[in-house]
Amino acid sequence: MNTNNIEYNGRLQVISYIIVLVIAVLIGRIGYLQLYDGEYYASLADGNRIRIVPAVAPRGTFYDRNGTMMVTNRPGFAVSLLPLTAPISDEVINRLADLLKVPKGDIEEKIKAHVGFDPIRIKTDVGPELLSIIAEQKDLYPGVVVEVLPIRDYIYKEQAVHVFGYVSEINDAELEDKKNSPHKYKMGDIVGKAGLERVYDLELRGEDGGEQVEVDVTGKPVEILGRKNPIPGSDLYLTIDKDIQAAAERAVDEQLVAVGARAAAAVVMNPQTGEVLAMVSRPSFDPNLFVGGISSKNWNAINDNPNHPMDNKAITGEYPPGSTFKIVTGTAALAEHVVSPEEQIFDSGKHWIVDKGNADGEALGYINFEEAMAHSDNVYFYEMGNRLGIDRLEKYARMFGLGKPTGVDLLFEAEGLVASREYKEKVFDEDWYLAETFDAAIGQGFNNVTPIQAAMVMGEIAADGKRFKPYLVDRIVDYEGKTVKKFKPELVGQLDVEPQHIRLVQQGLKGVTKYGTAASVFRGFPVEIAGKTGTAENPHGRDHGWFVAYGPFDNPNIVVAVIVEQGGYGSTSAVPIGRKILEAAFNIPDPAKQAELERQRQLAQQAQKNKENNSNNRAQEQPAVVNNAPAPGREYGAANGRR
Amino acid sequence: MSSNKKLRKIDVELIAAVGGIILMSLITIGSATHINTPSEDRYWFVLRQGIFTVLNIGVVLFFMNFDYRMLQGYGKKLYIFNIIMLLAVMFLGQTALGAQRWIQLGPISLQPSEFSKIIMIICMASVFQDKIGQLNKLSDLLPLAGYVGLPFLLVLKQPDLGTSLVFMAIFIGMIFACGVNIKLLMGMFAGAVACAPLIWHFVLKEYQKMRIMVFIDPNVDPLGSGYHIIQSKIAIGSGMLFGKGLFAGTQSQLNFLPENHTDFIFAVVGEELGFVGATILLLLYLVVLRRGIKIAQQAQDNFGMLLAVGITSMLAFHVLVNVGMTAGIMPVTGIPLPFMSYGVSALTTNMFAVAILLNIYLRNQKLQF
Repeated sequence: MNTNNIEYNGRLQVISYIIVLVIAVLIGRIGYLQLYDGEYYASLADGNRIRIVPAVAPRGTFYDRNGTMMVTNRPGFAVSLLPLTAPISDEVINRLADLLKVPKGDIEEKIKAHVGFDPIRIKTDVGPELLSIIAEQKDLYPGVVVEVLPIRDYIYKEQAVHVFGYVSEINDAELEDKKNSPHKYKMGDIVGKAGLERVYDLELRGEDGGEQVEVDVTGKPVEILGRKNPIPGSDLYLTIDKDIQAAAERAVDEQLVAVGARAAAAVVMNPQTGEVLAMVSRPSFDPNLFVGGISSKNWNAINDNPNHPMDNKAITGEYPPGSTFKIVTGTAALAEHVVSPEEQIFDSGKHWIVDKGNADGEALGYINFEEAMAHSDNVYFYEMGNRLGIDRLEKYARMFGLGKPTGVDLLFEAEGLVASREYKEKVFDEDWYLAETFDAAIGQGFNNVTPIQAAMVMGEIAADGKRFKPYLVDRIVDYEGKTVKKFKPELVGQLDVEPQHIRLVQQGLKGVTKYGTAASVFRGFPVEIAGKTGTAENPHGRDHGWFVAYGPFDNPNIVVAVIVEQGGYGSTSAVPIGRKILEAAFNIPDPAKQAELERQRQLAQQAQKNKENNSNNRAQEQPAVVNNAPAPGREYGAANGRR
Repeated sequence: MSSNKKLRKIDVELIAAVGGIILMSLITIGSATHINTPSEDRYWFVLRQGIFTVLNIGVVLFFMNFDYRMLQGYGKKLYIFNIIMLLAVMFLGQTALGAQRWIQLGPISLQPSEFSKIIMIICMASVFQDKIGQLNKLSDLLPLAGYVGLPFLLVLKQPDLGTSLVFMAIFIGMIFACGVNIKLLMGMFAGAVACAPLIWHFVLKEYQKMRIMVFIDPNVDPLGSGYHIIQSKIAIGSGMLFGKGLFAGTQSQLNFLPENHTDFIFAVVGEELGFVGATILLLLYLVVLRRGIKIAQQAQDNFGMLLAVGITSMLAFHVLVNVGMTAGIMPVTGIPLPFMSYGVSALTTNMFAVAILLNIYLRNQKLQF
């Protein structure tokens, strides 16, 4: 036993060392995990258990200039999946796809593309029936959560949609674009896609908050660890007047039906400030369709419309100004002293140098400046073009601000085009012809303006030569009621023309509604209006009808520009719209509507009386009421005083 | 021998260390099962483990009355019993986690392969005690290998790779103590390595292969087999120096860590008691294992010496593989942590093993002055 004993004692000693070594290695290993790499694993453990349930900040509200709410948010629900440590089972995805009617592939893609621990939004704005199914069958939908979200609500649907724009989920291109934005945009964010929603997205969106929730391995919330309340977005107080906007849209829609046209645009501004009171573009669309993701059917309906409902034609549509350009030509002629206001020019139906005449070949005989403007006499203005030459026409067009964007706070505003030698040379590589000067003088040929530019030109005449930058937002007010930004009128130009010459142009434009091309429509209009019709030749179809106007004549605070695409003569297509807009702007009651309101009021009173009489048994007093209706004039007078 | 003398012959150090481990076990099992059990059963696991601890203490005390040497008389019978038991598992056993390991006996489900470990130690010790210093040639070794090989294959067939590896560890520990020729031992390892591809293709099941692949890189299958390792490492690592506190381990309390009261209980210790707690536990194991070797060195006969070496090898192998597994340096093999993991079969086996150690120490002649 002795030798063996010594032998195995040595061996046992070795085993003992091995055991010490094993324990040392294990202690070393856990020390490495816990002390050296501890922070890393601690963060992984938090990642396992902590989920962020975001609380989306409500977007700022849009108010019109009188404080009427136009765009707001309503509470809505979104169905989302909490990312779990274990994979989300196919079964749950299938069930969810069936329930929400979302393609399974879409859900899988969203799960795949998702990083982080906040919920993966599968469908926003889900109806209560589906929510109750999910709530009742909780066990069938592990990891599925319902989030309460503010959902954008365009209260008046299509109204002013081109000004407001619309919101929808951010796409990859936008995410890339906004990489350097001060706000950290992320997948799934709702962003403004057009209009003011897009321009003021940063101000409107506020800051999302959220809850840190501890979850177990199945994603079941166990405890709320922390909460950050969302900061609502700032509100926009607009220069838009809801009533004028509504009236303008109604007028445009009715007129489109009446003349059988499909597209139109209108702009209403205050020429003394540049405030935009209304802006209409047709055709349009309902921005609410985009809020929860637009269906392909709706999208195709919008996208396939040849008249491009998404375009804001008031700022992107470029049309030949037609006779509305005579404002520029006339101002230039007077300012450059190529004609005196008294000089009579003989209109024989066509010009004596270039064979061009009036639209219907009519001849007005000897006419002066004011008459020529009022009747929109082409021969007279051809001669003005002839005397001025293209270079001076170009100079004055640019002085009015044409050929460049007005600077209104919307995206994609078009510049329009001013006819010039330079342009023709550059684009056609040809010399300028006199006939082209003739065309330019009456707003045909190369000239192009947008409706907002047309309003701007008319506004400069109204404001005695001053040009204000058009703007849509009066002030931005944060959620605490503090004004964070106030927009003031911005003078951006001044016509270098003597005041008496501008007054002469104004007189001519007043003649338009008194005895000229818009007189028939404006007969009996209680406010003095200066206007100008235009009929722009359109090589692709019917002429475009134009009308620009301002009023009240002595103290103008409204300027209107209307175009009806392929509406034919401006005097028949655009002028009636202009009148209705001005009626709304000056609160002039529509006679037909007034009568109807009156009738209803009487009926209501009658009903009221009847009720009282029935209870009191005094039927004989009934007839006395009929004559008690308020005088219509009183209302008109009061309303007129508003502006 | 007077009772006084008997007391002096009690290995207090070993008992204290094992007692410490079992105390930590009860606390940790309590914490690990606290949240994940319906409230009426909240203490079921701790209670059960506690009751069996007490019952086993009774067994240990009862066994002290016998001389451990009587066990060598049962060598052959135990060996045959063992084979029958393993065969019974194969035909009667219940399938759990892809393996047949359980036999239901009334309210208790037994894991015969656990008992099989201690039985094999007794059998091997009684056979190997005559071979000390005589293991120089392959022909010396082969009969012994065959003797262990039969039960080894039966366990492997269950399949219970973990237990079969434990058999190997015990075998190697014992023949090493028997003074096996080192070259022969090396040759054996070389042979095993050479056979590895054969074992890979013909013996290992798919899930076992996956476990080994996952051990090499847990991210092969992060939500399947790699999940255990990843979550266990996160649990241990995030415990840092002092741990998150009992009942406060987010990994174990929120169920991210599976099997947290059985095979992965060490991760709970790491997470909730930190590096300090885990180190204390490992040092307690070091005490137990060192005592095991000491008892082997002081044993009065070769049978006692080999028994102690076998038991120590078994325990050391369990600790190494289990802790290594939770810490991501060993493959997942389903080997429980002695005295820590919940499970009455393993607890009974391990406590009986300690009883044998105490018995050997008690009857150790050398220290009787």
